[in-house]
Amino acid sequence: MSAVKQAEMGPETTAIETAKDRETPIRKLFKAQAFQIFIVLLVVIAIFSAIAPDTFAQLSNLRLVVQNASILAVLGVGMTYVIITSGIDLSIGSVLVFSGVVSATTMRAMGGDDWGTAIVGIIVSIGVGILWGTFNGILISKAKVPPLIVTLGSLGMALGLAQILTGGVDIREVPSVLTDSIGYGNIFGAVPIISVIALVVVIIGALVLHKTKFGLYTYAVGSSEEAARRVGVKVDRHLIRIYAISGGLAGLAGILSLSQFGTTAIAGQSQTNLNVIAAVVIGGTSLFGGYGTIFGTVVGLFIPAVLQNGFVITGVQPFWQQVAVGAVLILAVYVDQVRRSSAARGGSTSFWRALVSRKKK
Amino acid sequence: MKWKKSVLGVLALGASAGLMLTGCSGGASSGGSSAGAGSDGYKIAFIQGVAGDEFYISMQCGIESAAKDAGATVTTQGPEKFDPTLQKPLVDSVVASKPDAILVAPTDVKAMEAPLKAAADAGIKVVLVDTTVDDPSFAVSQISSDNKGGGAAAFDAIKEAHPEGGKVLVVSVDPGISTTDARAEGFQEAVKGDDKFTDLGVQYSHNEPSTAAEIVTAALQKDPDIVGIFAANLFAAEGSATGVKQAGKEDSVTIVGFDAGPAQVKQLKEGTVQALVAQEPATIGKDGVAQAIAALNGDKVEAKIETGFTIITKDNVDGDAKDAVYQSKCG
Amino acid sequence: MTTPVLEARGLTRQFGHVRALDEADFEVYPGEVTALIGDNGAGKSTLVKALSGNLAVDSGVIKFEGEPITLTSPMQSSALGIETVYQDLALAPHLDPVQNVYLGREIMRPGLGGLLGLMNVKEMSKQSRHAFDELGATVRSLTDPVGAMSGGQRQAIAIARAVHWANKVVFLDEPTAALGVRQTKNVLETIRRVRDKGIAVVFISHSMPHVMEVSDRVQVLRLGHRAATVDTKDTNMEELVGLMTGASTRNVA
Repeated sequence: MSAVKQAEMGPETTAIETAKDRETPIRKLFKAQAFQIFIVLLVVIAIFSAIAPDTFAQLSNLRLVVQNASILAVLGVGMTYVIITSGIDLSIGSVLVFSGVVSATTMRAMGGDDWGTAIVGIIVSIGVGILWGTFNGILISKAKVPPLIVTLGSLGMALGLAQILTGGVDIREVPSVLTDSIGYGNIFGAVPIISVIALVVVIIGALVLHKTKFGLYTYAVGSSEEAARRVGVKVDRHLIRIYAISGGLAGLAGILSLSQFGTTAIAGQSQTNLNVIAAVVIGGTSLFGGYGTIFGTVVGLFIPAVLQNGFVITGVQPFWQQVAVGAVLILAVYVDQVRRSSAARGGSTSFWRALVSRKKK
Repeated sequence: MKWKKSVLGVLALGASAGLMLTGCSGGASSGGSSAGAGSDGYKIAFIQGVAGDEFYISMQCGIESAAKDAGATVTTQGPEKFDPTLQKPLVDSVVASKPDAILVAPTDVKAMEAPLKAAADAGIKVVLVDTTVDDPSFAVSQISSDNKGGGAAAFDAIKEAHPEGGKVLVVSVDPGISTTDARAEGFQEAVKGDDKFTDLGVQYSHNEPSTAAEIVTAALQKDPDIVGIFAANLFAAEGSATGVKQAGKEDSVTIVGFDAGPAQVKQLKEGTVQALVAQEPATIGKDGVAQAIAALNGDKVEAKIETGFTIITKDNVDGDAKDAVYQSKCG
Repeated sequence: MTTPVLEARGLTRQFGHVRALDEADFEVYPGEVTALIGDNGAGKSTLVKALSGNLAVDSGVIKFEGEPITLTSPMQSSALGIETVYQDLALAPHLDPVQNVYLGREIMRPGLGGLLGLMNVKEMSKQSRHAFDELGATVRSLTDPVGAMSGGQRQAIAIARAVHWANKVVFLDEPTAALGVRQTKNVLETIRRVRDKGIAVVFISHSMPHVMEVSDRVQVLRLGHRAATVDTKDTNMEELVGLMTGASTRNVA
């Protein structure tokens, strides 16, 4: 290359050219945080399998782990969308309980034990969830109240209303068609139906997020709300829809929980919102918006679930589980920070490269 | 691009799952990390209602000592909160660890039925300790205190302190917990039998002392002439005493608490709480182990055992009733 | 004399006590580069916002291709073929160049796919690449997020977006303010190419050398009012500075 041409290629162009050479598709795959977290999950599974092959690494055990993670997965899909828009939804646990309560009350009033009643219950539960979500969305987008505050408020209101509606007493009459099929039923004898439902939600959620205009607008609003507004994206309407989806999925989770526990469990779900948020963040979705994947959220869900399951089976004191999950969460956010700041400086988004270049300085 | 990652991820997960299923049946057992190696002894798993509660810790101590005598090993797990959505994954994991018997305090009379029934179906002997479920037919035995009697005894203690009568309040945990419901029922039935006393009803503190304190201060604001409060469990008692202290009513209100943890004994000695109805969690634990082993050996089991209680007051707390106080650590 | 594609007469806008625009006049002709200069607070940004539909005026007339109109929203201006590139570029950093160019105006797949929300990424990429090449913009990757690109590339993408959708007027607010020498050269060249397509370009700048280099005409704003409008070839930097600060005057053409 002649000296003249060399001179014309300034530092930025050179960097881009050399960066491009390194960017084979496989490399890009490995750099994705969701994939790196997935490797972590596989390592955890491998370690527990080695320690307790007869008990941990059995299909019956893993089946139950997947079954117990299913409700969280449904919630996780909604939360991923919300966090990508740089928002947050603390109310999902309460909305879950409230929709379950309204649904159970309706089904009890209808009296039947068949699918007719059950379907009404399902529609009511999801519908109530959508209403709460829309309520959240309107306050957030139109009244400009921060999502943290709005959803904190609806967390309290939904739970309080649930207690008022029931007088504090759980409703324990759930149509047996629900508990038998969704709650504990299996297809092909081994796959829990509740997990199949969750898988369908996850797949649809992923397809919409990564392939459609709706998903693109979600990323756009999270990346720069101002930019989106300027080009004519109806940001307010989009945010309302996002929160409505989160609420609707909480409503779906409500009927799933009713089916699984056979009771409205008003005292339950105390930790659910934080567990779901942790899962989304561990999976690589940025709390600051603009970036995230459904696959990452699912992996992020399984890490605490597998850790708890493995610790219990190997007899580790339960409080260590909290410590482990907390550590993984902080690590995930730290990695995200490092990648974001090195990306902003125009460098590589590989975590390891960021560490190495820091040392060189 | 993003889609490719997901596909590769799913393939990798499927591959690793396949590897595990095919390759993981043999291999030497690694010997669990719980106390003792006992290859001839039984493996017992104890699932508490909530971790960190002295009532369940005392029960754990009783279980561990009885197990040691019988040559069995014990692992203990408990959810952070008294919450069936947190307890169920624990039960599932414990079942997967294939113990011979489970001693469990279910956190909801309905929600925990199915998972525990599944455990019984898997051949594990299930003993219900403390709380129970709506349909306990799958369990080999149920062991708990005579909660109704305990509630009635609590009322007697209040009656003794205030023979002239007055308003009384119950601070319970959550509806749907068999033990606290029975205690409240026993108390309220006794109140009904004595027309000098007015029943202000039951309030629920969700097993949070801070909530109990708020309930009590609010109740005292509304009815400053309350003479007695019955707190149906450990955290409720702790919080109620705090609430009375905050309202400055230690002299006029008699609190009778259920359970005798160290914090409550302190309150008893200070005078904010006048009497404690102590259960015998260690005995419940010991009986639980005995029933489990009997079931495992094929011997006769007792389907229902009711254990007793001790009324602790300032007078006997350091004397006769010393051993009735709950432990926060074993040994 | 041809009709101005965009014209403003007597625009006035007040914010509280401050008169941002005070009977301001402005016009721009097709295929012409106009520089809009003035000291801080002269009203340049306000005028651009008013002419691009982002701000209402208290009084005055705006004419588009000779016809009076009322501009109520940026979407309306876009529909007329007027696009604006603000100083902050209004790009979404996590989205790639193609997604940014087409944000809000995506091409959907035909038939059922489009109804479900699937986009025609191939077509959008093709047209974006064409838009970038036409302007000589050096965009190396169509799939990397723009946040990871240099300032010059981001500027080029923002301008390419505006030019792609505009067919009448493009407003640029301080397009060279944050750029290095080489990148500035590229932007100025881009401005010339846009003009050569027959689109009117209006750019705000504090840099007299750039104004002299690339503009055909200069309009000077002072205290919300047009102080002068001159052909670039008839003036020089000292005179422009003088007109901005009020040290000298020229008869308004």
